[in-house]
Amino acid sequence: MPDVREVRDEPPPFLGTWQRVYIAVLVYLSVIIAACYGFTRALQ
Amino acid sequence: MTSLDWLVLFATLTVIVGYGLYRSRGSNTVDRFLLAGKTMPWYAMALSIMATQASAVTFISTTGQAYVDGMRFVQFYFGLPIAMIILCATVVPVFHRAKVFTAYEYLEQRFDSKTRALASIIFLCQRGLSAGLTLYAPAIVLSVILGWPERATIFLMGVTVITYTTLGGVKAVTWSDVQQMIIIFAGLVIALVTLIHLMPSTISLPDALYLAGAAGRLNAVTTEFNWNDQFTLWSGLIGGTFLFLSYFGCDQSQVQRYLTGKSIAQSRLSLIFNAVAKIPMQFFILFIGAMVFVFYLFVTPPVLFEEAELNRIQSSPAFRPLAERYSQAFEQRREAALGLVEAHHAHRAAAEQEQVASYRAAQRNMDLAHQQAEGLVASTGGEQRFSDTNYIFLTFVTKYLPAGLVGLIIAVIFAATMSASAGEINSLATVSMIDLYRRYFHRQGSDHHYLMASRWATIFWGAYAIAFAGLGRKLGSLIVAVNVVGSLFYGSLLGVFVLAFFFRRVRGTAAFAGMLAGEAAIFWAFFFTHISFLWYNVIGCVVVIATALAVTHLRAETVA
Repeated sequence: MPDVREVRDEPPPFLGTWQRVYIAVLVYLSVIIAACYGFTRALQ
Repeated sequence: MTSLDWLVLFATLTVIVGYGLYRSRGSNTVDRFLLAGKTMPWYAMALSIMATQASAVTFISTTGQAYVDGMRFVQFYFGLPIAMIILCATVVPVFHRAKVFTAYEYLEQRFDSKTRALASIIFLCQRGLSAGLTLYAPAIVLSVILGWPERATIFLMGVTVITYTTLGGVKAVTWSDVQQMIIIFAGLVIALVTLIHLMPSTISLPDALYLAGAAGRLNAVTTEFNWNDQFTLWSGLIGGTFLFLSYFGCDQSQVQRYLTGKSIAQSRLSLIFNAVAKIPMQFFILFIGAMVFVFYLFVTPPVLFEEAELNRIQSSPAFRPLAERYSQAFEQRREAALGLVEAHHAHRAAAEQEQVASYRAAQRNMDLAHQQAEGLVASTGGEQRFSDTNYIFLTFVTKYLPAGLVGLIIAVIFAATMSASAGEINSLATVSMIDLYRRYFHRQGSDHHYLMASRWATIFWGAYAIAFAGLGRKLGSLIVAVNVVGSLFYGSLLGVFVLAFFFRRVRGTAAFAGMLAGEAAIFWAFFFTHISFLWYNVIGCVVVIATALAVTHLRAETVA
C-alpha cells in the first residue's frame, strides 16, 4: 500500500517556474506599497 | 436582533458546520484525521490559512482601529508576502518531504528529541493561552452589545467547534473554514455597500474619501522610522516579515493547514494566494472602519461606544460638562465637514483651507472629550486603560444596519471565532498526540488507538479553551498581557527552524541552548525595554542563531 504521505512536486500552473512566481509576488508587493503610499498622499 | 436576524444567524452556522462535516466523511485513520490524507486543493488550504489567522477580533478591532487611528495598521502585513516567498522556497518542500505531521517532528529528524520536546511545549504554552482568548474576546463584545450571557456565547461557540473538529478532523476544519471565509467576505462587502448607502444623499463616495482623508483616517503608509511605533513601513517590512515567518513557518496551527496539500505545488499556491490577497483584504476591512468614521460625521456618535460603561459614568458629576463639550464639538465638526465638501466642489482653495482647519480642530475637541470619558471610566472604578475601540463597529451594525444583515454580521463574528478556534484546537491536539503522547507515552499503538487519542486530545483542548475563556472576567486587564505573551515565544521558534534549514553544522545541544538563550533575550526585552513587540521576533531569532553558533564553535574546539 502506498504511503499516503508521499508528495509530488510540480511546476506552478502559471509563469513556468516558481522563481518567476516569487518575483511576480515581489513586484506585486512593490506596486501595493506604492499604491498605498499614493493613496495616503493623495487623500491626506 | 429581530427574528429574521436569528434565522439568518442559525441558518448560516448550520450550513457552515453541516458542510464541513459532510466533506469530512471518511476521516477514520490518523493520516486522514490529522492531514486529510494529503488530498486538499490549494484554494481550500488558502482560505483555511486565512480563516485561521483572522479571528473575530480582527474584524471587530481592526475596523475600530481605523475609526480611531486611521489605516496605518495595514503596514503590519507588508512583510507577509516576503515571508510567504521564503516559506514556499524553503519550509514547504522540506516539511512535505520529511513526511511529518507537525513542524516539531522535523526538529527531531534534524536535531534531537529534547529540541523537539522544547519546541512542542513552547507551542502548547503559547497557543494554549490564546485558545481561550479566541473564544473569550468576541464573547465579551457580543455580551455587551447584544446583552447575551458571556458564558452561554462561549459555550455555544466552543461546543460547536469541538463537535465538528472531533468528528471530522482537519478536513472538517478546512472545509468549514472555506465556508466561513465566504460568509466573512460576503458579510463585509454587504456591510460596506450598506454603509455607503446610509451616508447623507449630498455626500458621494469621493466626498466620503475626501473627508476621511482630511481627518487622517486614510493614512495607510508612514515612512518615518521609529522603534517604538508598531505600525510603520519599516516595522511592517522587517518586523512583519519575521513575525509572519514565525507564524506561518513554525506555528502548527498554520503549518498543519498547508501540510494537508495533495502536492508541494498545491501547498505553495495556498501560501502565494495569501501573499497576494491578505494586504487588500486588510485594507478593505480598515476602509470599512474609515467609512464608519465618515458615517458618524453626520450622525451623533455616543460619547462611549461601550453602553454599559456609558450608562455607569453618566451618574458622575464630571460627565455632564464633558458630554456638552462633545456635543458642541460634533456640531462644529458636522458643519465644517459640510462646508469643506462645498468648498472642495466649488474649488475655493482659501475657504477649503479654512474649513479643514475648523474640521480638524473640532475633531481634536471630540477626541479630547472621548479620551476624558475613557479616563472617567477608570477613575470611577472601571477598567484601567479602558478603550471602547472594539465596540465601534458592532454598535454601528446593531443600530443602523437593516434586519437580516445584523444576523449576517453576527454570523461573520461567530464564523471568524470558530475558524480561528478550530485551527488552534486541531493543532494543539495534533502536537499533544504526535509530539508528546506517541513519542513519550505510548510508542507502539495501533492506528485506531492514535485516532481515538487524537479525538480525545481535541475534546480536551476544546474543553480547556472553554474553561479558560470562562475565567475571562477574572483575568481582567491581564487579557492584554496574555496577548503580548503570545508574541514572546515566536522568535526562539523561528530561530531554531532557521538553524535547522540554513546551518547544517549546528547540532541538537547547540540548538537547544540557543532556544533557551533566545527566550531569555525576549523576556529581557519585554521586562526591561520599551521595544515594540514586533521586534521581539527579530531579537529572539538572532540570539538563538548566535548562541547556537557559539556553542557549536566551542564544542568543536573542545573536541579538537
